[in-house]
Amino acid sequence: MSGFGETLSAFWAVIRRDFQVFLSYRTRLVSQALTSVFSLTLFYYVSRLVHVEGFTDPDRYFGFVVVGIALVGVLYSCFSVSETIRQELVAGTFERLLLSPFGGVQGAVATTIFPLAYAFLMATITLTVGTVVFGLELHWSTLPLALPALVLALLAFIPFGLFFTALTIATKQANFGASWIIALLSIVGGLYFPIALLPAWAQLGAEVQPFTAATELLRHLLVDAPMETSVGLALVKIVGFAEILVPLSLYALYRAIRLGQRRGTIIEY
Amino acid sequence: MSGVLTQSDLEFEIPAPRRQEPLPLSLRGVSKAWDKGRVPVLNRVDLDLDVGDKVRIAGRNGVGKTTLMRIAAGLIDPDRGSAEAFGTSPAENGQRFQRLVSFLPAGDRGLYARLSTRRQLDFCARIALVPRREVKARVEEAIDVFNLRELADRRVDRMSMGQRQRVRIAMTFLPRPHVVLLDEPLTSLDGEGAEILYGAIEHLLSEGGAMLWCSPAGEHTTYEFDRTLMLDEGKLVAA
Repeated sequence: MSGFGETLSAFWAVIRRDFQVFLSYRTRLVSQALTSVFSLTLFYYVSRLVHVEGFTDPDRYFGFVVVGIALVGVLYSCFSVSETIRQELVAGTFERLLLSPFGGVQGAVATTIFPLAYAFLMATITLTVGTVVFGLELHWSTLPLALPALVLALLAFIPFGLFFTALTIATKQANFGASWIIALLSIVGGLYFPIALLPAWAQLGAEVQPFTAATELLRHLLVDAPMETSVGLALVKIVGFAEILVPLSLYALYRAIRLGQRRGTIIEY
Repeated sequence: MSGVLTQSDLEFEIPAPRRQEPLPLSLRGVSKAWDKGRVPVLNRVDLDLDVGDKVRIAGRNGVGKTTLMRIAAGLIDPDRGSAEAFGTSPAENGQRFQRLVSFLPAGDRGLYARLSTRRQLDFCARIALVPRREVKARVEEAIDVFNLRELADRRVDRMSMGQRQRVRIAMTFLPRPHVVLLDEPLTSLDGEGAEILYGAIEHLLSEGGAMLWCSPAGEHTTYEFDRTLMLDEGKLVAA
């Protein structure tokens, strides 16, 4: 029988597969790092140009937005899994996962890991460039705590990618509506500007997803941004969302695969 | 009169004791219709594969051979009926079923275009949950058995169709399944590739496995099967 070690080895195989495929496109890292640098440059000068309500000086807003830019990458990575699975359906490689003892659900979950690790790398590059080139002031004493906070946040974010993966398997359409959701979450999650600027009804959207709490907590830990709520409440929200959404998203994924197998549409793309 | 009955007292032969061990592959009453209300592509199909069996299913294009193979592999469900490997169905215990059965789908899909042969095989071994300490040895063994040494570090998208098919066949046999389901395995293979495939099948059978092969009617192969069945109008009949 397979043990924990073999299952771990299968997870590792999926991560390594994605890493090797990524490496085979040699300019991707450079191109995405440059995109990040351009975004930072843009927002650095925007922060100098525009006075944003609630920020005492341009550097405060720049620190606020740098963390937002880093987290947008993480958000995109969560949703990118459904696109990867769509490509696997077309290439027939998802079939290989389905027909393996490792299975389709674990295979899809394992597929989320590399993009998130990559998003973490890009976030680190963004923060480093922000610090070295644009003078971003990191809050070094709480910086190490940002890592476990991010891991916790990812547990709350990943289910969104898994829900969309389930939808992709069911509809065969990649990221069906995902770009709208990401744009919406960027706004109500306060990634680029404070949610206090939004109308009251739109601020409700900040409460019904984990991105706002995670963004606020990470900003606090990384650049010492003040928090609207307490650290404890933000953690409770993130853990709560993770606890509810992780099993729900895994179940949705399982049901989508089973539905495809029952109808015979799992082989379609 | 003695109360003991002997064979001569009976008008019929005592049947052989019913087989207790489950078969390597057993399909029972398998039906599948692609559209509701239309004639099913498979209509209550029964098929048993015993240890050492090598069976071919032939039939016209579109007659349902691949659908039958996909059901036997646990990839899709039948509308009615069941597929079992050694008494285990995919719904009951998918992991055990997939350890027992390995499926080579038709065509040239199922490969990561930008990974080398060795990487594909390593990936395949790990998702097959091959014991970690055996992975490397199994990969190298597959490279040797399927004569892939020259292609071991070449990316799949830089290979010919026949070379890709050899990699796919190696991936099918690498986990050491008990039952292999081969859907048009000769596609793009040259004579040497076909001989390697036949050797792999014979080795599997000698180890107590079973093999189901499907290909279009009229396909020429020198390989000898125990049985050839025709799939026609949803039914399996002896060819």
